[in-house]
Amino acid sequence: MTARMLPGNKIDEFAVRLMRSAEVVAPRRVGEEDVFYGAIASPDEIAWDYGTAVEPLKRFLLPQREPILRFSTNGRIRVGAEYDEQQRVFLGVRCCDVTGVAVLDAMYGGDTVDPYYMSRRERSTFIALTCQQPEPHCFCVCGDAGPFLEGGYDQQWTALPEGMLVEIGSAAGEALVRDNEDLFAEAEVDQVAARYRLAREAEQKFGEFKSYIAGAMRKLSMNEVAPAVWEQAADRCMECGGCTYLCPTCSCFTVTDRMAGQDGVRERHWDACLYSCYAREASGHNPRPEREDRLRARFFHKISHQWAVRNGRQACVGCGRCVLGCMGWAHTPAVSEGIRRGVMT
Amino acid sequence: MPEIATVCPYCGCGCGLYLHVRDGRLIGVSPSRSHPVSQGRLCVKGWHAHEVVDNPNRLTHPLVRREGNLVVASWEEAAEVVANGLSKVLESEGPQAIGVLGSARCTNEDNYVLVRFARGTLRTPNIDCSARVQCVPGPAPTSGGPSLGAGAEEIADLDSADLILLVGSDPTEEHPAVAARVYRARQRGARVVAAAARAHPLARLADVHLPVRPGSEVRWLGSLLHLLLAEQGFAADADMPGLSELRASVAGLRPEDTEAATNVPAEALREVARLYLSSKQVVILYSTGLALSTVAGPALQALGSLAALSSRGGGPEVSVLGLLSRNNLQGCRDMGVAPDSLPGYVPLNDDAAVARFEQAWKCEVAREKGLRAWEMLGRVRAMYVVGDDVTRSLPDADAARRALEALDFLVVQDIFMSPAASMADVVLPAAAFAEREGTWTNLERRVQGIRKAVAPPGEAREDWRIVADVSRAMGKPLPYESAKQIFEEIADLASIYAGIAYPPAAVNGGIRWPTPEGRKAGETVAGSGEAEVTALSAEALKGPGARAETNEEYPLLLAADPTLRPWDGEVTVCHTLTSAGEFAVVARDYPDGMLCLNPEDAKRFGVRGGRPARVVSPKGESQMQVRVTEEAPEGIALVPYNQAMHSGLMEISTDPETGRPVLAPTPILVGPVQ
Ligand code: SF4
Ligand code: SF4
Repeated sequence: MTARMLPGNKIDEFAVRLMRSAEVVAPRRVGEEDVFYGAIASPDEIAWDYGTAVEPLKRFLLPQREPILRFSTNGRIRVGAEYDEQQRVFLGVRCCDVTGVAVLDAMYGGDTVDPYYMSRRERSTFIALTCQQPEPHCFCVCGDAGPFLEGGYDQQWTALPEGMLVEIGSAAGEALVRDNEDLFAEAEVDQVAARYRLAREAEQKFGEFKSYIAGAMRKLSMNEVAPAVWEQAADRCMECGGCTYLCPTCSCFTVTDRMAGQDGVRERHWDACLYSCYAREASGHNPRPEREDRLRARFFHKISHQWAVRNGRQACVGCGRCVLGCMGWAHTPAVSEGIRRGVMT
Repeated sequence: MPEIATVCPYCGCGCGLYLHVRDGRLIGVSPSRSHPVSQGRLCVKGWHAHEVVDNPNRLTHPLVRREGNLVVASWEEAAEVVANGLSKVLESEGPQAIGVLGSARCTNEDNYVLVRFARGTLRTPNIDCSARVQCVPGPAPTSGGPSLGAGAEEIADLDSADLILLVGSDPTEEHPAVAARVYRARQRGARVVAAAARAHPLARLADVHLPVRPGSEVRWLGSLLHLLLAEQGFAADADMPGLSELRASVAGLRPEDTEAATNVPAEALREVARLYLSSKQVVILYSTGLALSTVAGPALQALGSLAALSSRGGGPEVSVLGLLSRNNLQGCRDMGVAPDSLPGYVPLNDDAAVARFEQAWKCEVAREKGLRAWEMLGRVRAMYVVGDDVTRSLPDADAARRALEALDFLVVQDIFMSPAASMADVVLPAAAFAEREGTWTNLERRVQGIRKAVAPPGEAREDWRIVADVSRAMGKPLPYESAKQIFEEIADLASIYAGIAYPPAAVNGGIRWPTPEGRKAGETVAGSGEAEVTALSAEALKGPGARAETNEEYPLLLAADPTLRPWDGEVTVCHTLTSAGEFAVVARDYPDGMLCLNPEDAKRFGVRGGRPARVVSPKGESQMQVRVTEEAPEGIALVPYNQAMHSGLMEISTDPETGRPVLAPTPILVGPVQ
């Protein structure tokens, strides 16, 4: 492990320097108690003591709605694509959210490269902040995505009394240290030891949703799920789409053209595989007509072995947002438990 | 990317959400975790609320009908045309010939200014809101607290309930944020009882599902009261006013004897009585499924009696939550969009209170009782309609359309070209919820501020501003400059809103009325709020089920289910991308209407799922596409209310007390199309 120390009184200065060359996206309090990742205008805005953000980082890489090209039928057809070329540093974001980006990368940067996504992705740097106090809905230990990471970040910070222990995970992470060498100190051996002790302690603090996924994955991948489980899950789902919208790794979209006079814009919007209109074809045929069919498809993508191989890891990172966001009771821990036990409670 | 905290514009739950804005455009929505209603969740409509606003189909300019076509006009021209059109009717026929409809979608401020415009500027008492057809007449029951014309207790009551009774309510369709709380209560061990003909998801998960035959709602409730009072030895307070009459009216309603009329198995009802008596905290939820039934008034009285008995007799603590359908239906009522009261439920015959309004408004106020929304149609010559598609909101939709066509003058304010707007002489473009400030009041009386995130398209502007412009063109300017100013006037004049400072921030879930200050000020308006019980009338106990008997010729019962697909065809949903996709599925799969039939009935009548069937009732004949589903009980065909309105098959019954039209269960014959 390559680690350095960023003393407590240098953190703000480091953030200010980052802001000179990039948009710095960090957790900050919005409204009453909600925390969102968002562009900051000053380091004072950063909520270092937050638990989890309402939403993952997806919105910054794959907006809920974005124009992808503009065209005009004004005499001749003109077409112009639009790319977001903003440099961004994601500062103090959670390990599970950073890990989620790896799954999006498999989708949008894999066999088929999506230029809109990649334009943003290539200009993004991730500085993760480890979790010392998971929230009740968190289960990243079962998602292999936290509370501390062993890799997959540019930098990973752990808050110690004297400042941030900074682990370096990539060349980009290293460059940020090099360019600001005057701010950093060497990490002492007991500071590194403290990081491992804190990680072990954090792992003991998880709540009721721990460790259902591995067993569920086995059954799902071997096609051993009792069919009744999907029907029972369907009665607990309201097709709000929240689980997919809040999920760091769900990536479905739809495309529409909207005209205003002779000018048109092609927009990409989030879509959800649980909506009955999602898989419906123009002919009216719906390959997944029932909600249980759609739930089965979703969970196969999230936690089957087959898809884990394709994505390079299981698609659930255990952030627990579906637990909070589910209108019914068909979130990942609930359904995983149902799959394991052959019945939903 | 600032997040703007505001409120979802769809159902009465009033979820808190954040709007994301970039370059002056809405680019998304997030739920609020700290908001007491949404708690981090949104339903499909809420997640797509931004699509209603940033939408190429929005109305952007005033339109005036010239030579049969709606053409773009300036605001001055349009206001002039409206002023002239209304003045002409006022001169020739008098104010009674004008009807004004407010909106359960618009803000309190819009509705308040509209009431002033109607009763002050036009001097017409005919002001109402068509969604009030689903508000059960009379004060809704509460467990003792002052009802103040609104019975809503708190959604949070569900979190501590050990028994939840869903009476004609399917919150998974109508009130998703409430359903979310029911699911969570169930997970922590609360019992759920669902009384509804349709086996909706929560009914399937319930501890007891009572498959109540439409029209027999009072009868099964009467039977439950009988069980509690006579058999289960429920310790009622003997001094309670009305108790002996109630006892007498339900005497002999043994569940075994009501089984045939209600479809409710006696043992299931006994189980409900046992659950009820062994519970400490009961929450009763009702919605349109009860409120639009033929026996809504008496059924609600029965629920009120149940609650009152408990509160006085040492039974469980009961809260009754009336789930109103629209985001601001509660506020629309609060603002006096009603033919029989002024803002704050001020009675028209209260001289002192009316004088306060006249003083503030500097004009005389029309003090007569006006026509209800459904009475206006066919009786007035001109209508001013704000944010309401009348062709979809009243039970006899086709009659409504014909009545609109026959008007001398029709003005419609809306954000989209609704079917009603397309018939208008003048169409006025309004600002959508994210383009303006103001307040909405949710179904538990949470007054919440909505916030401006983006500019309205074209020349669209706030509804209250449009109304004020028209009033000025009629020579009676209304002196309003901001939503804040209007709200402060409301809080001053309508005592129920007293003590609420503007803006009641949505992030905190706003402020529930009455505040302690409002409660004090409201005592004069409220009445005692004493718990009381009332006898159930023999007529209501019999229910229209008795009239709508099936027979050999018409062997099935057809019932309109207001909780089934309630958002299909709704104008703002129709114009969003995803929600429209989601909600239009049924419309596309079932273009001729969706007739839900139990598999046994489908077999019996030789019809197949996805195929059209011929449906014949004593009233008419129609074709509908069949959906075969276990959700429909045997012997009863269910149709979404919105489709039933247009089917021409249903009997329309009239509430004897209020004249409220209701689609009554009707016997039918179903067969394959030849
Ligand atoms: S969050 Fe829950 S209710 Fe919503 S679509 Fe997902 S599983 Fe269904
Ligand atoms: S439950 Fe109601 S208020 Fe909440 S998001 Fe859905 S429509 Fe909006």
